[in-house]
Amino acid sequence: MSIDIDKCTGCGACMVACAVENNVPPAPEGVNERKGITWIRVFRLDNGAEGVDRKWAFLPMLCQQCGENTPCVSVCPQQAVQLDPATGIVGQMPERCLGCRYCMAACPYHARYFNWWDPSWPAGMEKTLNPAVAPRMRGVVEKCNFCHGRWHAAKARAAAQGRRDLDPADYVPACVEACPTSAIRFGDLNDLENAPERGSFRLLEKLGTGPKIYYQTQRDWVREIAAAPGGTERAHG
Amino acid sequence: MSHRGTLFFLAGALIALGAGWAGFPRVIYRSRPQPVEFSHKVHAEKAGMKCEDCHEIRADGSFAGIPRREKCAGCHEAAMGTTLAEKQFIDGYVTPQREVQWSVYARQPENVYFSHASHVKLAHLECATCHGDHGTSDSLRPYQEDRISGYSRDIWRAMKMNDCVACHRSHGFEKSCLDCHK
Amino acid sequence: MKATRRDLFKFAAGGATGLLLTPAPWRLVTDAALWSENWPGIPKPVRGELRTRFTHCALCPAGCAVKARCVGDQPISLIGLPGKPLCAFGLMGHQLPYHAGRVRQADADAVRAVIAKRAANETVAVLDLRPGRTASWTYRRAMAALPRGVYLAARSSVPAVNLDAVKIILSLGVPVLDGWGTPSNVQQARSHFRLIQAEPAESRTALLADQWLKIRPGTELELVEALATGRGGAGTGLNEKVIASVANELVQAGALFLAAEESPSVLELNRKLGAVGKTIVAQREAPVPRSWKPAPVTPINSVPERSIGVLLIDESAADSYVPWSKLEGKLAPDALVVTFASSQAGYGRQAKHLLPTAVYPESTGDIPPAIDSPLATFRLTTPLVAPPRGVVNPAQFIGGLAAIDAADALRERAGAIHAAGRGSVCTYADGRSIPVEDIQPDQFWKALNDGACWIDEPGGKLLPPVLRASTPAVVALNWEKRAARGPMPPLVSKLYQESNLRVRI
Repeated sequence: MSIDIDKCTGCGACMVACAVENNVPPAPEGVNERKGITWIRVFRLDNGAEGVDRKWAFLPMLCQQCGENTPCVSVCPQQAVQLDPATGIVGQMPERCLGCRYCMAACPYHARYFNWWDPSWPAGMEKTLNPAVAPRMRGVVEKCNFCHGRWHAAKARAAAQGRRDLDPADYVPACVEACPTSAIRFGDLNDLENAPERGSFRLLEKLGTGPKIYYQTQRDWVREIAAAPGGTERAHG
Repeated sequence: MSHRGTLFFLAGALIALGAGWAGFPRVIYRSRPQPVEFSHKVHAEKAGMKCEDCHEIRADGSFAGIPRREKCAGCHEAAMGTTLAEKQFIDGYVTPQREVQWSVYARQPENVYFSHASHVKLAHLECATCHGDHGTSDSLRPYQEDRISGYSRDIWRAMKMNDCVACHRSHGFEKSCLDCHK
Repeated sequence: MKATRRDLFKFAAGGATGLLLTPAPWRLVTDAALWSENWPGIPKPVRGELRTRFTHCALCPAGCAVKARCVGDQPISLIGLPGKPLCAFGLMGHQLPYHAGRVRQADADAVRAVIAKRAANETVAVLDLRPGRTASWTYRRAMAALPRGVYLAARSSVPAVNLDAVKIILSLGVPVLDGWGTPSNVQQARSHFRLIQAEPAESRTALLADQWLKIRPGTELELVEALATGRGGAGTGLNEKVIASVANELVQAGALFLAAEESPSVLELNRKLGAVGKTIVAQREAPVPRSWKPAPVTPINSVPERSIGVLLIDESAADSYVPWSKLEGKLAPDALVVTFASSQAGYGRQAKHLLPTAVYPESTGDIPPAIDSPLATFRLTTPLVAPPRGVVNPAQFIGGLAAIDAADALRERAGAIHAAGRGSVCTYADGRSIPVEDIQPDQFWKALNDGACWIDEPGGKLLPPVLRASTPAVVALNWEKRAARGPMPPLVSKLYQESNLRVRI
């Protein structure tokens, strides 16, 4: 996945599309941004100036699907997190999850979320749930899995046509589909045409976790904040 | 003396075995008959139908499951035979346009993803591999629901996760949890 | 043989051992785990055949085309068409019917009787917060038929903006990048216009504008004056040089001046810039049946004080609102205010009666042409879910007061459009565009209902807008203001509460 920070307008379409697709319930009364569940979350960054000189940027943050020494996989006592060797997607198994939240502490990107409450939808809204994704229960951790339900559906569609392999167009996550400015793009990193663009960087690359999300920006101050360790702490989000 | 002790031990064990094997299933499973009597055998033999004639895989790869009333009504708009079951079905469901509330023996838990398309179209499995002789049975057995978990008893008979894993493992398809979970 | 204590223990030990060899304990352990997964209250999503349906989003006047993925008949997610994405709010539109503050019950018959009684000898006024719909025409017909009917539109004249010709926009608090025009259109045009946003608050548009003029609250007109005359403007809190440089920039061709509030000086400035007739043109409406005899649009300011006996407000689709203080003075002392809304958040606080309405995507109606569409369009929003019992259709209710049957108004209008024979219809399912002349009226109507848009043919002169700068203090709603005044889908918590991407006002 590649995200062009300069194209992101912070509209929030990806966050909403993600919650709709993955049956993430609306937050109960009184829940703040620390206990909410937002598999993809757009942070606001600013250049630190005041008034009209202040410049803003929006940085969509989701599970970076770390491919090397994946922190959440290595700390999970339940083997409830798994790096899929075929797709490279880091999968979370809510049924196995114990709720210890080691993985949340281990994740350098704060991209994991805990179900502090029973999932609940306003009366009638449960009819709008996506049957391709199972709702999670209270007391487990969940996170972005690149819309695994869509991957399943794409595989089934291909199988119905007798194909084993997927075309790139068969499967895109909901955030990519919803992004009105095409700031988020998606493809198989093994394909040559999806090789990361020159000048793209990864968040906290020096930790050596091999994240699979590549960011681009032309703005130096954004790069400075986003690429620097602890950079997201200056974010307003 | 020790002989006598063994006797008591065995008596206890036997009673427990009896209770566990015979009594427990009666207690833990709630049994209910299917709303309509249906014979797969009659449909397969007399009407010469195949499984996929009714249980189709849609073009998008999803599985339609038990056919809905319209599908049945396609043939059974009026009675084709003389059986009581057919008459009851037509009077109770087709004519008043009511949907049959079937209980699905093989309904997996919500977090399970299973693609009939992959298994049937790519792996060329027979329906009977997992569903056993269901397709040739003459009557529908009662649906047994676990009182605690709410799941069908049948998925513990032949469609447990262990069964899936064993088959996948033997064919080298065991890759990731999320292959089968959602 | 007499059983001893020791025998009893042996019996129990045997029982325990035997039990371990049965499925019972293992089953119970597994069941307990499964039970915790199926905690009561965790819903099971409904399975079924996935279908695709099309409609138009009625949340804002952009009226984007919507592709709904449905399980059976129930939409589970919405998405725009390729190249025409939906905004964040449009994406969760299908959940709007389930918002918490929804009003469902009211005694519509009793309210109808009270209104009918008073309508005989008092002034009845309809305030339309989204003019230009077929429902608006029904209100105008009804008001023409009543002895003392007045039709008030929130905005007296809605001009259209020709974004293709725009090179620079000075926006005075207009949410240009946040719920103003068609998102895809604005997005495309964004690369060739410069946006200067003059606004006291650091709004979303101000964040993303090329230049943000942070003016003091309430000094909007002073800024306009300063830009027009080249003098003054100290009260806005802006540097003189900044005002001068903006004024200089505006002189170039393709400049456009947008203001959240209509006023004579705004109009005058646009005339001076040469924007009128080029970048700002008259909004064109789709043809209407000749038999429809509408009441004129009365500007709110020209309504005599304390004259309205019955005020009916259609809030079911609101794009702007008139502050209550402006309306209050026009009401007779014992005036009856009835609002048609789905929640109490808007005029419900002031109204005597609130009649619940269907919300998108339960409602049936049309959406007026988007502000950035110089061509006339006709787009239906068709129900994706059935409305709950007890909701009132405002157009049919108000039409009924004047014995006008509005149930088929949309179809009649589609007939008139077809009879005019202009333009073409784009169907979304196959992406084709067919000239109206080539299809039958029934096909045209069916296509519109299945997801299609009628677009007038280009050509003809772009007419200058008929600007009546006479309804000040009408407030255009950006998403923050919409969230404050009307229902929002429950998942907005992701944007406002679970992150602070957006901030509630």
